[in-house]
Amino acid sequence: MYMDINSDRKVSELDRHLVEFAQLLRTVGLKISPSEISDATEGLSLIGLVDRDKVEAILQATLVKNVQHISAFQEAFRAYFATLDQKEAWQKEATQQTNQWKQQIESTYQDLRFQDNELDISEEQRAVYASLPEKDKQRLRDFLEKSSNGTRSGVPVDHSYQPMVERVLRGSLEYWRKKLNEDVPILSPGSTNGVLSEVERALRDREVEVLSRDLKKISPEEWPEVIRLIRRLSQRLASQVTRRYRAARRRGGLDMRSTLRKNLRYGGVLVDRSYRSRRKGRPRIVLLCDISGSMHKYTEFIWQFVYGLSTVVSGIKTFAFGESLIPLNGKFRKGQTFEAMVKEALLVSGKEWGGGTNLANALETLQKKYPDTFTKQTLLLIVSDAQTLEGEKAAALLSGVRRHVREVLWLNTLPERRWSETPFVNAFLPFCQMYECFTLGHLTQILNKQF
Amino acid sequence: MQNRRTLDQFENELEAIGYITERNDRIALTAYLATELGKPLLISGPAGVGKTEIAKVLSQVLDAPLIRLQCYEGLDETKALYEWNYQRQLLKIQMGREHLQEADLFSTNYLLPRPLLQALLSEKRSVLLIDEIDKTDSEFEAFLFELLGEFQVTIPEMGTIRAKERPMVVLTSNGERELSDGLKRRCIFLYVEPPSVNKEVRILRAKVPDLPEQLALEVARAVNVLRERLSLNKIPSVSETMDWAKALLVMGKTGLDPAWVDATLTLLLKSQDDVELFYREMGAERLLFESSKMAQGERHVHGHQQR
Repeated sequence: MYMDINSDRKVSELDRHLVEFAQLLRTVGLKISPSEISDATEGLSLIGLVDRDKVEAILQATLVKNVQHISAFQEAFRAYFATLDQKEAWQKEATQQTNQWKQQIESTYQDLRFQDNELDISEEQRAVYASLPEKDKQRLRDFLEKSSNGTRSGVPVDHSYQPMVERVLRGSLEYWRKKLNEDVPILSPGSTNGVLSEVERALRDREVEVLSRDLKKISPEEWPEVIRLIRRLSQRLASQVTRRYRAARRRGGLDMRSTLRKNLRYGGVLVDRSYRSRRKGRPRIVLLCDISGSMHKYTEFIWQFVYGLSTVVSGIKTFAFGESLIPLNGKFRKGQTFEAMVKEALLVSGKEWGGGTNLANALETLQKKYPDTFTKQTLLLIVSDAQTLEGEKAAALLSGVRRHVREVLWLNTLPERRWSETPFVNAFLPFCQMYECFTLGHLTQILNKQF
Repeated sequence: MQNRRTLDQFENELEAIGYITERNDRIALTAYLATELGKPLLISGPAGVGKTEIAKVLSQVLDAPLIRLQCYEGLDETKALYEWNYQRQLLKIQMGREHLQEADLFSTNYLLPRPLLQALLSEKRSVLLIDEIDKTDSEFEAFLFELLGEFQVTIPEMGTIRAKERPMVVLTSNGERELSDGLKRRCIFLYVEPPSVNKEVRILRAKVPDLPEQLALEVARAVNVLRERLSLNKIPSVSETMDWAKALLVMGKTGLDPAWVDATLTLLLKSQDDVELFYREMGAERLLFESSKMAQGERHVHGHQQR
């Protein structure tokens, strides 16, 4: 496909394709600035469009600046520069899927009715219903029919019962949503754009990469890889450089104040100079891990994180909490599991593994029994899904703690879009930096942002 | 534009100085793009895959002196860009108290240029290598923007200094820290992966001419197995492979055997954790078995292609 890129008309055609392609890349998560598109254009006019492989290399070198984005770029390139026939086939498929989806959602308006009235349930809940097996759909329909024709004390129920029925139905659909697919939202089958939906499909297939997978779904064989990554990340967390300067003999910029002070005795002639240097600040890390029932699946992750941190930072204080606070003061041993460690601690404290969560209680005990835990050097790391009892009290306590420590980081294993459904997350937000953290990709991002 | 190289010429020049590339590693094409578009080249990849080497090779191809800035935690402008020569300034003050102007003290005579400024002041085009940029902090990275975008720096006492000849800038990163979008936007990006068996054999043969082909092949395959199958803390680098091959050559070996793998393993794996991991999960015999399996696989593919 040789093009003479010097002719005006074709250059503009090339530009149009480049901009469109960049837009496709943006949709799949790459950040691309106009200057990069212009670099790509220059690169193409330098090397030419004769060789597909070279074109791909030029676009990759100028548009992709992150290793993790290379696979997305490759899929996008393959799909965008596919043959016309192929593109048409994808388009057809995408349209078909969207239509099918629309029909399914449409049918829920027919199915889910109370005394011939439409029910007030969300689009996502309708989607959950649509993806249920027929048998379970029938069960829900039966329930609606029975309640429509039901009686109370011999009197047929009227429309005032609708809100109650809706609540029951929502509860049931919520249960199914969790059961079907806990974290991945059941949403429409992607874009109506054939190329984009093909790229999205290919990327879903590729999502075998450890970084983007939910930590509870990682198989034991992959743990060594994950552990290595966690170690590297925790190392970074442990060796951050503070922004403060302190006096040193010969490092960094001139420390004017101390230099002048020192040289007063020479009548102001600057004989001795002192310099500033950056001080390596080792934060004192206090780790507070939620080990309640809802967090059980993440214990391996937490353990590796704790162990990784403890191998690079000394003096890290670790506490677990469920309904109450459990100090984990024992020395971490290689090869020991977190579970064994916690069980050991539980034996001593006579408590049970995996119950409810009460952060308020934990924070209160921490402040009372270990008053020297929180200092201005402390980095408080909370690993929890924020599903706790006495949330308001916990938030109030957290705000108190925030004033005494350098930073409160909260790694939440719950996806961010579920936060609004969890009571109290909003109450905690002003007093900590909360991040969703259920894949290693998240952990990497957090550390990149924070340190 | 006069005397512009074509990509083919560039590739030939790389080959002429003995730098080995493969078409699918895209090193030649990306480096060519960066030199011709006058953009900084940001090279990322695991340690020991030859990132720094690319800058050295570019300096040879472009016939430009290599100026190197090794980055580390806490590196700042006075180490990277310039510092005033305080001692000399003091002497000057003492010598000529009466007739001294401020401008006398803040001139290029009293400036100690560090690598970045050296590259800008150089009369000849230079290759500026900013090695391991991910080791510095984000403030230093932001400070580089002016240099990388406009090829100029501002010294408060003297004003803006523009590059006499735009240097070819090469930045390398091990990916320890995510670099800022601003920096990445200004660069052409190259990700270097560990070399394929084929490429490593070619490198070994080029750098250690006495090495028999069979030994080179066995060494490259074994190292490839180590890199791919074990999740090592640090994978063996190309230079470590070379050391290993040289050691085996000195011992008069023509092929690998388990006893010699055990004896020389520390040339490849340099941490106790990695050595332990190797013996726990693989061992020398299994390593050689896997390498020979790989050789069979190659022959198989080759046979298919011939048919």
